[in-house]
Amino acid sequence: MNKLVKLFITSISAITLALVSFTSSFAKVDGEYIVLGSAISLTGKYSSNGVHTQNGYNMAVDRINKMGGVKVGGKSYKFEIIYYDDESNPKRAAQLAERLIKQDGVHYMLGPYSSGLTKAIAPVTEKYKIPMVEANGASRSLFTKGYKYLFAVLSPANQYLEVAIDLAVEKNGGKPVRIAQAFEQDAFSQDVRLGILDAAKRTGSEIIIDDKLPKELNDMAATLAKVKATKPDVLVVSGHTKGALTAIRQISEMKVDVPMLAMTHCDAAKLSKQHGKNSEYALCASQWHKNLSYKDKFFGGGKKYDKDFKKEFGYAPPYQSAESSAALLVFKDAFERANSFDRDKVRDALKDTDMQTFYGNIKFGPGGQNVAKPMILFQVRCKGDTCENKVVAPTKWASDKFYHPIPKWSERG
Amino acid sequence: MNKVKQKDLMLYSGLIILGLAAPFLFSAFKVQLTYLCVLIVLAMTWNLQGGEMGYNSFGNILFYGLGMYLTASVQVGMFFPLAEWTESGGEKTFVHTTAEYFQGIGVGLLVAAIVPTIVAGAIGYAILGLRGHYFAICTLGLGIAAGEIAGGIEIIGAGQGFTTPPFPAEIVDPEARGQFFYFLSFLVLVLAFIFVKYIYGSRFRLILNAIRDNEDKAEAMGIQTMKYKIVGWMCSAFFCGLAGGIMGGLIGYIDSTDVAFDGREMGVFMVLMAILGGKGTLWGPIIGATLFHFFKEGLWTFILGWQYVALGVLIVVIVVYFPEGLMGWLREKYPERFGEVIDEKDRKAQVELK
Repeated sequence: MNKLVKLFITSISAITLALVSFTSSFAKVDGEYIVLGSAISLTGKYSSNGVHTQNGYNMAVDRINKMGGVKVGGKSYKFEIIYYDDESNPKRAAQLAERLIKQDGVHYMLGPYSSGLTKAIAPVTEKYKIPMVEANGASRSLFTKGYKYLFAVLSPANQYLEVAIDLAVEKNGGKPVRIAQAFEQDAFSQDVRLGILDAAKRTGSEIIIDDKLPKELNDMAATLAKVKATKPDVLVVSGHTKGALTAIRQISEMKVDVPMLAMTHCDAAKLSKQHGKNSEYALCASQWHKNLSYKDKFFGGGKKYDKDFKKEFGYAPPYQSAESSAALLVFKDAFERANSFDRDKVRDALKDTDMQTFYGNIKFGPGGQNVAKPMILFQVRCKGDTCENKVVAPTKWASDKFYHPIPKWSERG
Repeated sequence: MNKVKQKDLMLYSGLIILGLAAPFLFSAFKVQLTYLCVLIVLAMTWNLQGGEMGYNSFGNILFYGLGMYLTASVQVGMFFPLAEWTESGGEKTFVHTTAEYFQGIGVGLLVAAIVPTIVAGAIGYAILGLRGHYFAICTLGLGIAAGEIAGGIEIIGAGQGFTTPPFPAEIVDPEARGQFFYFLSFLVLVLAFIFVKYIYGSRFRLILNAIRDNEDKAEAMGIQTMKYKIVGWMCSAFFCGLAGGIMGGLIGYIDSTDVAFDGREMGVFMVLMAILGGKGTLWGPIIGATLFHFFKEGLWTFILGWQYVALGVLIVVIVVYFPEGLMGWLREKYPERFGEVIDEKDRKAQVELK
């Protein structure tokens, strides 16, 4: 026992020493670098969107650094990001935020992917008064908590598909519609659901199916069987990338006929590529589309961003990447206006942000949400075997006409 | 005898001093240290069934998640309408005063300890008749079911998740929150250790061992095995509930399947840690949890994207090379240090026989 105790005590003191020497943290600004921190989902259920987010961040960092960096106090600085993998788990994300701030000495944060993870990180950044610009947490409840250091470049989740219901009512001659809806059990999708409930109330529409689907959505056959039986006017589905893929796969397998299908995350799921013609006519909510006419000096316009992104990463950028890139433009702008690395000055500068980026106009409301940019809807349309996303609403940017109703499967070639 | 006790005393007081000083020594690592305390509690109490009783439970996560939701619900519900708090997009903001916050979490933790214990009793009565793999699979189902059910209950936030009350704003020191949760978890750790240590010296442990080694024989000897099995599980549930309550407050956001009833991570980790250190020993789960936590925190970030592969390799290595855990391995290598006397002549005789 004696030696064992000795061994134990020795190892504990060794660990102690190691930890003490580790505690010396890096600085927020390291030489010519401004260090940002981010916990990103590189594994787990959000891994594909996590990578889209990371690519968006990296693309913007490269571009800004190449084009002269960030000028503060007459000196030019470069951005650098410390990443950790949060494994798509809120518990891990909160812990990593703490680690970024306390151990890595990060003073400015970039958001994670998904509302749930942002909800977990926001209390931590708030506690340490760390400004966080996030691009992928859209849940409305993030903006009603009175957070002062949280800024979101995207529109809140409840706005995602409200427009779709309005559109359905319009197509129905202004009369209320019957809505079937299925949402994943997570913060974001449940917020999209709240938006639909509001829209239904406003238009007097009736919700005839209101299903909740498990996370990591792989099967929604039960909901679709009900849809087949009750024949609603609109089917609304939201469940991140997996939800979009599952919905299209099963709708085409089961030959479910519904006049209008509204979804989220179509472009992140690369729906038009993966399911081709089967995904035609699906209506998708999006934060951004390359055809929009917004411009900035770093990326040019949406089309140029699309081209550059494709060249760099080999696939067309979903809006998750675009909004993530925009987050860095916001940070750069704020640093330069604050002309300081003082967190509170940067925070105040962020609050006063009013700018245009290739992704859209950005101006923050009192809760930290972006109030300057509307959501858009696009529809998957095919020509031969190539399918594309065409913007159909709102009318200001619509490049194509909205096709309604969706033809029956028996009539589709 | 006296000498040994003195040595133990030194060890324990050393550890307690280290535990109390830790958050000041490694201020930046407070959250990780809190996790460590919670992980040790979970591993140590899992060991009561898995190690001592031989009933591999994947269901302890049920009590952990239950404790988490209960603490948060009580903490909010005592002062504000719970439904309005959890409703997403609610316009009203409720703020706990300092006194309300601590009263709430105190009562919440009490409830989080008691209710899971009762639940463990009730469920245990129903399913502890199952043995071996059947029990393991059944408990695995419990955790998953609980997560899905919690994800459908609106009043606790359902799929939106539940944001636990923020630490009172009147306490301006940003270190205070970390210290509070660290000392809370350390307290629970000390209590759990004293309790488990007490059990190790009691007849109760021998009964649990008897159940593990041969339940039928134990029954034939007149032990009411069912009773002891249920009580054993209730003991674990008590501490799991407390651990969950603390974690809920620390994380600040409860999600039904990813944070509370997180069988895929916490539920597996607690089993893994106990096995890594050596199940059926007092120090095994503690050493296992500590090593595991260091492994996880230290290496995880250097192998981004591959950490679960590394974890898989670790599991395989443990199972293949250390089937009895580190403590079991040490015991085999240095039996004399564990107080086992080996008769050299006898050993040689055995070798010659072979």
